[in-house]
Amino acid sequence: MRLTRTARVCLVAAVVITACSLAACSPAVSSPETGGSAPAGDSAPGADATTVGVIAVGPKDDFGYNQAVYQGVEALREQFPDLDVLEAYNIPEDDTAATTMESMVAQGATIIFATSYGHLDAAKQVAEAHPEVVVVHQGGLLDPVPANMGTYFGSVFEPVYLAGIAAGAATQTGKLGYVYAIPIPQTLANINAFTLGAQSVRPDVDVTAVSTTSWCDPATQADRVASLLSSGVDVMTQHQDCTKTIIEATEAAGAYTVGYHADASSLAPEGWLTGSEWDWGPLYTDIVQTAIDGDFTGSEYNANYRANMASGKNPFVASAFGPSVTDETKALIAAAAADLEAGGSPFAGPITAQDGTVTVPEGETPPIETIEQMDYFVQGVTGTVS
Amino acid sequence: MSQETEKAAPPLPPPPAPQTTDGRGRFLSRGSTLLRWVGALIAGLVVFGAFVLANGADPFAVYADIWTSTLTQPGQFQQIVLRAAPIALAGLAVVVPARAGLVNVGGEGQLIIGAVAAAGVALWLTPVASPWLVMLLMVLAAVVAGAAWAGIAAAMRLVVKVNEAVTTLLLNYVALYSMLFLILGPWKDPAALGQSTSVELNDAMKLPVFAGTAIHVGVALAVVAAGAVWFALSRTTWGFRLSVVGGNAEAARRAGLPVVTLLLTALLIGGALAGLAGFIQLAGMEYKLRPTFGLTIGYVAFLASWLSRHKPLPLLIASLVLAAIAVSGNSLQIGSGLPAASVNILMGLVLLAVLGWTSPRKVRS
Amino acid sequence: MIIDILAGAVRGGTSIMYAGLGETISERGGVINLGTEGAMLLGALGGYAVTAETGNPWLGVLGGALAGALLSLVHAVLVVSRRANQFASGLTLYFLALGVTALFGVSYVSQQINAFTPVPVPGLSEIPGIGPILFDHDPLVYIAYVAAPVIWWVLFRTRVGLLVRTAGERTEALEVHGYSVQAVRYCATVAGGALAGIGGAHISIAYANSWFENMIAGRGFIAVALVIFAMWNPIRIMAGAYLFGAALSLASVLQTSGIAVNQFALNAVPFVLTLVVLAVLGRRTMLAAPDELLKVFDNSRTT
Repeated sequence: MRLTRTARVCLVAAVVITACSLAACSPAVSSPETGGSAPAGDSAPGADATTVGVIAVGPKDDFGYNQAVYQGVEALREQFPDLDVLEAYNIPEDDTAATTMESMVAQGATIIFATSYGHLDAAKQVAEAHPEVVVVHQGGLLDPVPANMGTYFGSVFEPVYLAGIAAGAATQTGKLGYVYAIPIPQTLANINAFTLGAQSVRPDVDVTAVSTTSWCDPATQADRVASLLSSGVDVMTQHQDCTKTIIEATEAAGAYTVGYHADASSLAPEGWLTGSEWDWGPLYTDIVQTAIDGDFTGSEYNANYRANMASGKNPFVASAFGPSVTDETKALIAAAAADLEAGGSPFAGPITAQDGTVTVPEGETPPIETIEQMDYFVQGVTGTVS
Repeated sequence: MSQETEKAAPPLPPPPAPQTTDGRGRFLSRGSTLLRWVGALIAGLVVFGAFVLANGADPFAVYADIWTSTLTQPGQFQQIVLRAAPIALAGLAVVVPARAGLVNVGGEGQLIIGAVAAAGVALWLTPVASPWLVMLLMVLAAVVAGAAWAGIAAAMRLVVKVNEAVTTLLLNYVALYSMLFLILGPWKDPAALGQSTSVELNDAMKLPVFAGTAIHVGVALAVVAAGAVWFALSRTTWGFRLSVVGGNAEAARRAGLPVVTLLLTALLIGGALAGLAGFIQLAGMEYKLRPTFGLTIGYVAFLASWLSRHKPLPLLIASLVLAAIAVSGNSLQIGSGLPAASVNILMGLVLLAVLGWTSPRKVRS
Repeated sequence: MIIDILAGAVRGGTSIMYAGLGETISERGGVINLGTEGAMLLGALGGYAVTAETGNPWLGVLGGALAGALLSLVHAVLVVSRRANQFASGLTLYFLALGVTALFGVSYVSQQINAFTPVPVPGLSEIPGIGPILFDHDPLVYIAYVAAPVIWWVLFRTRVGLLVRTAGERTEALEVHGYSVQAVRYCATVAGGALAGIGGAHISIAYANSWFENMIAGRGFIAVALVIFAMWNPIRIMAGAYLFGAALSLASVLQTSGIAVNQFALNAVPFVLTLVVLAVLGRRTMLAAPDELLKVFDNSRTT
């Protein structure tokens, strides 16, 4: 009796909930939402913008990816003194990103930079809701590309390849360490380019790649570095958003550092070899100028824009050399850089994956789209893509 | 205000005096409840302002930001409502067990597991079944999974007498890591260029929105659920019995109530509601699982339930308030350059004020 | 390799051990503090900030302890004096700490500090195996070796410990002897918070040597699980902390050796292990729990 009563209550509740939700669904289905706000009529997206919004996934002073974004923003401010630049940092890669961009739009922003890989979905959503706003995304790939959207990025793996040469020349033990977050294609391309660069001067080099499964978890980073150092690694590099913990631990152990994202040579005065860093200023400036002029739609930025060293506009550049890099190594790097500027690629075949399959045959050079979808480690890397 | 009622209890060995638990709200007139809430909010805002000032920012500019970003900007209110819906559902997951004296800290995990189950159904059945069937099964899977997750805690409470507050808290982490494992491993969307997310739901599996708004039907579901829970708790025998058990389980047992069944159903229904919250967060908001999916919704919901004194209808308001605070944080730093997480201070302070200084009556345990 | 894993376990388990010891004291006194994660966060920032300003990591430890104690003091006010629900109060303080550290931490993200460095114990660190595992760490690791037995001794062999435990077992006995239950609980909770703060400071000024928002990343909640796992016994806390530390750091060593690991499965280990222990030893575990704590659990619906 009691049980039946309980059951009856539950049943009633369940039926009520289901019925109501079904009832609520039906009218809405016939009229799905189309765009949050009216299109701005005949004006081009982003034209005559007075306000620009920038969102980033981490803090602006992380010696890393987000600090580079911040420096790009500062360059924008310098170039466009009258422009109002709204910034938001530590924006997680969930619906918060969309909410934040929406409130930037509400505050008048008509050009938006979404700068983290995981902000892409939110960026698409905002672009769709606001056809009058230019939304550009840092690092993603769009297919198709809406008239008010675009992605942009550099060829990150090019300076990383050059840094790999410095690492290969510097290592005594022949063991290089690579601390990465999660195996996204960009990271895999970097690890592979680094390995290939090192192999070009020291063919037997081993690159041990370990993952932290987080873009910034300093305690886990410390653990990974300790373990790599103890295994004999004497050159450390990384693909993390916050880079400080790893660099300081490496320096304290007397090993060499190859930087990433930003010039952190101040953290490793002895062991700094070189690194790769962002210089977003010119590109941000050009994108904003194009949009303000009303020329965004149809421009090279209304696409998956990729700059490389051959075009001379790669926003990802090699960092300054540290004290221990020899002139001989510098010459090797200069020669390799000249080759890339002439249209060469770190991934010019033959490229062999860890399992022995030839992924790029002799004489071929993969296009950037292929490189940005890389899903394997090359031979010479210790680690698994998990 | 409550001093006179909490004077030192006599040192009696077996303490917990039977508490009368139903109708506690009647001790408070509506007016004074409102006054306390306003007082708590103002106290929170003032102390928050002091923090902001200490950090070198202008508190009034910050207040202005919070004001505009929550109330005056178009579309922001919809954002708040959208955020409040899963908080309310996961809050109900605390409310129902609380009526039976159970503490469900596991809304976070039950929500995630619910979403994982729904995403799994979508992943496997989208190619083979009709959209409506898939969506129905997604709801069902989310509800069952949430209930099952809470069921583990219920089983441990009933079989080995381990407190559910402890187990539900631990299970949150197991749920989180299970989801992370899936989306970085077997469920990773190969087309997402290595982004660690699951495959996005098919458009047909996304919750429809009310015409002209961004509000999806999950919001209505949350309101209906709150109404249903209110009805079940206050107008049915089951609800009455739950509060008897919650008041004094031993007395209830002696009175012949099926205490085990009641505790079990309370926790299972709670888990089911949190699972439902996971479903609407998935099908209404995020459309795919990602590492930050549903982050802290369950904990915020737990606190929302405490704010509303475990009453279903006030819970809706508490959810809106907490959602508004969260939304204001996202735009706060745009204007004032403060970290978005700073608004957690405001949320924490308001909660402190409410928890510590608005209780109508204290019972010494 | 085994040596690396064990050394990593000791290093990584230390912060969890401090927080777990603190939570043990607090719970022995009858107060559960889910705000441990928050106390660790505040401790991490407090420790980092003081070290950055003074250049002395020892003062940083003090700063971390004070920061953690302060947050727990708020908890004590709420749950002891105001009789707020302990779970709700603890979670509230977690969010409060999250906000406070985000707000005040911004300016410390880019600062460098004079952090603790490993100090090999002369002689002992030379012993093969045991040396690198136990005697080649930062000073806070060594202090933790002593802290666990000392806290055990204080709790179970001294009058102070008796008071704390009585506050958690039979309040009426305390009152009969003229002690204030409230005062004892205040002390236990605040002491617990101070230890959690030191745990947080260990991460920021001795382990990762940096400050980032939310850098504790759940280790405080692991500490809460640890206390149950260890059945409120400081010595078992020590063992459990190293076990959980091993689970977290195992992935580093395995990956370095080229062995694929599932980090998430390892991350879940502390929680699953605790659940299993509870399931298997459920009744026994709960018998070990302080009585007043059980009352908190059972009467938690009082508002």
